[in-house]
Amino acid sequence: MVVNSLAFLWFFLFVMVVYYLCQTKKEVQNVFLLGCSYWFYSQVDIKMTGLLVILTLVFWLLGKGIYHYMEQEDGRKASWLTTVGVTIGIGALFYFKYLNFFADSVASFASFLGFHMSWTALHLVVPIGLSFFTFKLMSYVLDIHHGKIQPEGNIVSFANYIAFFPTILSGPIDRPKPFLAQANVARLFNPDQLMIGFRRVLWGMFLKMCIADRLDIYVSAIWNNYEHHSAISILFASLLYPLQMYADFGGYSEMAIGVALMLGFKVAENFKRPFFVLDIAGYWSRWHMTLTSWLTDYVFLPLNIKFREWGVYGTITAIMLNMMFIGMWHGANWTFFLFGIYHGLWYIPLMVGGGFFKKRKIKVNAHGWPKQEYVIKMIGIYLVVTFGLMLFHSANISEFWQICERVATHWQGGLFTDMSSMVNAAICLVALIYVDIQEEWFPKYQLPLPRMINRWRWELTVAIEIVAILLFGVFDNNQFIYFQF
Amino acid sequence: MKKLFIHIIIIACLFFVMDRVLGLGLGYLYSISNATDEYKISYTNESTEDSLLFMGSSRCLHHYAPLVFEKELGISCFNAADWGIKNIYFHYGTLGNILSRYTPKAIVFEVHPCDFQETPYSGKERAGSLAPYCGMSKECDEMLKRSGNYWPYQLSWVYRYTGNLPNLLAGKMGNMDRNLKGWKPLDGVLDTVGIKVEEYPFPIDQERIDLLERFINDCKQKNIQLSLIVSPMYICSKEDVYKVPRELAAKYDVPFIDHYKDTTFTGHPELFYDFGHLNRQGALIYSKIVCEELKMHIKR
Repeated sequence: MVVNSLAFLWFFLFVMVVYYLCQTKKEVQNVFLLGCSYWFYSQVDIKMTGLLVILTLVFWLLGKGIYHYMEQEDGRKASWLTTVGVTIGIGALFYFKYLNFFADSVASFASFLGFHMSWTALHLVVPIGLSFFTFKLMSYVLDIHHGKIQPEGNIVSFANYIAFFPTILSGPIDRPKPFLAQANVARLFNPDQLMIGFRRVLWGMFLKMCIADRLDIYVSAIWNNYEHHSAISILFASLLYPLQMYADFGGYSEMAIGVALMLGFKVAENFKRPFFVLDIAGYWSRWHMTLTSWLTDYVFLPLNIKFREWGVYGTITAIMLNMMFIGMWHGANWTFFLFGIYHGLWYIPLMVGGGFFKKRKIKVNAHGWPKQEYVIKMIGIYLVVTFGLMLFHSANISEFWQICERVATHWQGGLFTDMSSMVNAAICLVALIYVDIQEEWFPKYQLPLPRMINRWRWELTVAIEIVAILLFGVFDNNQFIYFQF
Repeated sequence: MKKLFIHIIIIACLFFVMDRVLGLGLGYLYSISNATDEYKISYTNESTEDSLLFMGSSRCLHHYAPLVFEKELGISCFNAADWGIKNIYFHYGTLGNILSRYTPKAIVFEVHPCDFQETPYSGKERAGSLAPYCGMSKECDEMLKRSGNYWPYQLSWVYRYTGNLPNLLAGKMGNMDRNLKGWKPLDGVLDTVGIKVEEYPFPIDQERIDLLERFINDCKQKNIQLSLIVSPMYICSKEDVYKVPRELAAKYDVPFIDHYKDTTFTGHPELFYDFGHLNRQGALIYSKIVCEELKMHIKR
């Protein structure tokens, strides 16, 4: 069931009505929410719902065990249980996502060295959302072990944190503390919150259906047949791809946050205008923010502490490993590994130049617009990201090289155009850029409207958004790109 | 709660007004468009009152030159076919809309395997091209219901034109020559390198056959002289591809004109644009041949 489908709309309307009918009894509300979350997940991946339930139960018990030993000041056993938890989380990820890949790679490497080794690939179906919910499970036991939270006494609240249906498929990867605090109080019907949530869902739908899916028609047409297209077409499609990804994943995140808000939960933000930055560190602090902050807290910082004796080289090592994890988190493919390394390499000038720990701000001119030199830097970062995503999008390294080769050699032939998709997407992109610029540099600005109309500004905006989705949207329920991760 | 309801009501009213006004505007742009799809569908559904109509998919669109038929048969003629592998769901809905306005004297229907087989590339969704005419006839509405979008089209007029705004805005610049009365000639000669026969290994679809029978029956009830026809291919299947329509034609006593393996055209690349479509020269020759045959079937 896709979030922007009619089926989800009916499902969500039913959930909302019953959910707020039992708002005075938080236990009933939580049990109902959990039932809905499991039902939702079972509609997407029925076979793996059992795995989700078992992992939830195991981690809940582990959390209790870790805390028990910490209270008894038996740090060794607490650490051991935490290690068990992390191993189970990583083990599940490894088994479902990476086993075939690693076994295959080892076998290939062995044959390269002249040894005979064969591996029959296991037919494993990766549970949808696995990378998201295992990270939640691991952060729960790690936070208990670090003394940041106490274990959740109520299994239903904990299970809701893991299986919360708006976020289970593609995040945001919420942290246990803020979520559980909200799960343990009744969520009362709040019309204002409902309206804010609804607006975010609409905006997410606009991003996904009107921009991401429209751009996808063009980008896929080029990338899926790159051997028949000119360098200009491939480069143009590549330049559009970061925008497609932003609208796709950013759109999903907006919808997830909006739906959660309508149910009374504030979940973490995932995107913050990621292309309005001056360096790669700025980009990752605004792109898939919950993944970046998760890896920063649980991978980069511990590694940085471990390597601190090496000085700047220790930080570089920690960053490179962290970026490798970010890359490989997306899937079992050498392209993702190289994608991580590529991004890691862009951090080195920052480390060496001492700019890594400085938050670089874009300076504006007297009119509030960013200065020219900063605009050029932003364009530069966009190009850096574009090249990384060419690697990310390629099916394998050989395909990536073939694309690069084609770009280098096939300059004859013009730009492939699909006017309908491009014009539709361009109109909607103007809206996205307008909104992002306004939020970034002119947050207080409001389009001047006559007083009579201004009174109904909110309602008018919602109605325009609905009409725009109907007019420009793609309605064939395309999957979200990040569902595969 | 009261505040929320007021918001919802205002949004609903604003949406309704915007949707209807914009929908009307888009409908107007649709009607005046010269782009192939828009012009062919709008003229067929809204305007044509010609005596002889050609219906079918792209092979019909490119193969029948109405001016040739008008000259030879002495009756007004329009090629109402549209490209995009349209199938019987689209054609039957279109027939319903035409019959809700007037009754043509004769219809020549170019059948294609997607009118009676379960072709994966052409299904019920093809009826969606009739979205602008939702509510025009019960047949059209039935086909839109089968495509699964009838209620969304009823709810929103804008949704009927989803994704079409650029085409509609540029519609006047479209390249359909209205003087050719719906015919879209193809200029060029077939490059025979790598040409393979197109097979249709798909199961027979009883639902589509039922619609084909209803198409024939509706024409008979309105005394429309219907002919089923198959135009030539450059390279032909060894299978009896058109067995179903031939049997239907026999069952309902309707002429079945089969040029599928017509040696005047088959194997002659100079008369084709691609393996399934005649070029301008081929279409003009073919139209003259069909004209002679129709003289025997159509009472003027």
